[in-house]
Amino acid sequence: MTDALRVENVEGGYEPGLPILRGASLAVAPGEIVALLGPNGAGKSTLVKAAAGLVPVWSGRVVLGGRDITGVPAHRMVHEGLGFVPQTENVFANLSVLENLQLAAALIAKPRRRPLAEMFALFPDLDRQRRLTAGRLSGGQRQMLAVARALVASPAVLMLDEPSAGLSPKLVGVVFERLKAVRDTGVTILLVEQNVKAALAIADRAVVLVEGRERLEGRAADLADDPRMAALYLGAAAEAH
Amino acid sequence: MLQLVADGLVVGSVIALGAVGLTLTYSILRFANFGQGEFMTWGAYLAVSALAFVLAVTGGGVMEPLGPFSFGWQLVVAMLLAAALTAALALAVDWLLFRRLRRGNAITLVIASFGAALALRNLVQFLYGTLPEYYTREIQIAVRLVPRDVLGGLRITPDQMLVIGLTLALMLALQLLLTRTTLGRAMRATAMNPALARVAGVDTDAVIRATWVIGAALAAVAGVFAGIVGQIRPMLGFELLLPLFAAAILGGIGSVRGAVAGGYIVGLAESLAVPLVGAEYRAAVAFLVLIGILMIRPAGLFGERA
Repeated sequence: MTDALRVENVEGGYEPGLPILRGASLAVAPGEIVALLGPNGAGKSTLVKAAAGLVPVWSGRVVLGGRDITGVPAHRMVHEGLGFVPQTENVFANLSVLENLQLAAALIAKPRRRPLAEMFALFPDLDRQRRLTAGRLSGGQRQMLAVARALVASPAVLMLDEPSAGLSPKLVGVVFERLKAVRDTGVTILLVEQNVKAALAIADRAVVLVEGRERLEGRAADLADDPRMAALYLGAAAEAH
Repeated sequence: MLQLVADGLVVGSVIALGAVGLTLTYSILRFANFGQGEFMTWGAYLAVSALAFVLAVTGGGVMEPLGPFSFGWQLVVAMLLAAALTAALALAVDWLLFRRLRRGNAITLVIASFGAALALRNLVQFLYGTLPEYYTREIQIAVRLVPRDVLGGLRITPDQMLVIGLTLALMLALQLLLTRTTLGRAMRATAMNPALARVAGVDTDAVIRATWVIGAALAAVAGVFAGIVGQIRPMLGFELLLPLFAAAILGGIGSVRGAVAGGYIVGLAESLAVPLVGAEYRAAVAFLVLIGILMIRPAGLFGERA
């Protein structure tokens, strides 16, 4: 079966000559939730940003459902079927909840556009706040809106950069439950996380990135108890000191 | 008193139109464009050329006044042509200059805009000369709206009334564009967070082009309005530059409503100051108002961020 998303030997970074990604590879099968884990500075966020077209890819390929999307401009990615939810400032704080979703809907061709009613059914909290300026939403509601905004374009693959950042443990549980519901609607998910426990609890598989390369990969349930996980995290911490 | 208010509203209309372009480029391109005043000058002069062209094409060579106004329909066409040409000029300046510097820091863009302003001003002087130009030599009789014994009375020309009315209509149209259309929402989204706008599917390069087009077209209309109620001179835009900045900052830089309110406040302050401190110090009074408002509201009247 064709992978929903495949990253092949990607090298890239923000500044020429200073690579963050050093030949990173991973594959996500259709319908999977894959957690992308790793210590601070491993290049997890850079990898999803590179796939989303926000960070230059110097070599290697990003393949979405069999189509090479390397170098496609970031604003075209929604049309290719790749959604991305950044870690911070992931909603338009000066627009209302409804305007955030209307903008996403207006930018996508009708056949791909998911009705906003579907989004409000998936995230009832947003329905109650639809006229509120997004900047006034709580942290959890903002994450829901950010996910809903990305889902409006019917992405085949949705990438999220640390959706648990800044949320209370209870809210992390709520957001991750919603992500499972999103997956159940047929969306493949690649999830960058620092919260290893929470991520492994909802993921099918996980990939551990260290220094811009994947170092460990396996079923989430297996990796939760794998001593190599701790070694990779602690090793990176020890090197940092 | 009423007369001063009316004069202030006319000047304020021209300032408001120019300040809106300034605030739009600031919020979306993230730099203070010192060339905005020159787009007003170019708009005014391009309308002179466009008017000559329209009059030549229509054969008559003479402009019959339209109703109570001092100008004919040909100036309306010329103004639209000038707005389109000024927008094209702004796109050309962006393509030649600003586009290459966008990845650098904002101060580089600001200094570049100084250079662009200087070049544009000298070019207009080279092409059109330094003598004042007029769209029409028709003498307009001001209409008395309020008798002399009520607050000093009010006389205003139909041209001045049209300038105030059209400015308000244009500002309303712009507000509707920004709040009710996809382009407007995309512009607001890009102003808020360009990277997020791109991942949400907004073609931010197209938004930047639209911003130049709208800002320069409004500046051109402001320049034509300034020419209708006064003279067309190469320093027209340069002399309005400081009031434009005062209006945009006073209203809250980045806010369209703020730029409009700021434009009218600066226009009224300048006008009302004349009998108190004399015409030489009118610009200083606008800045005193600016300082006063910023002391109470550092982000400006409608500004959200400091």
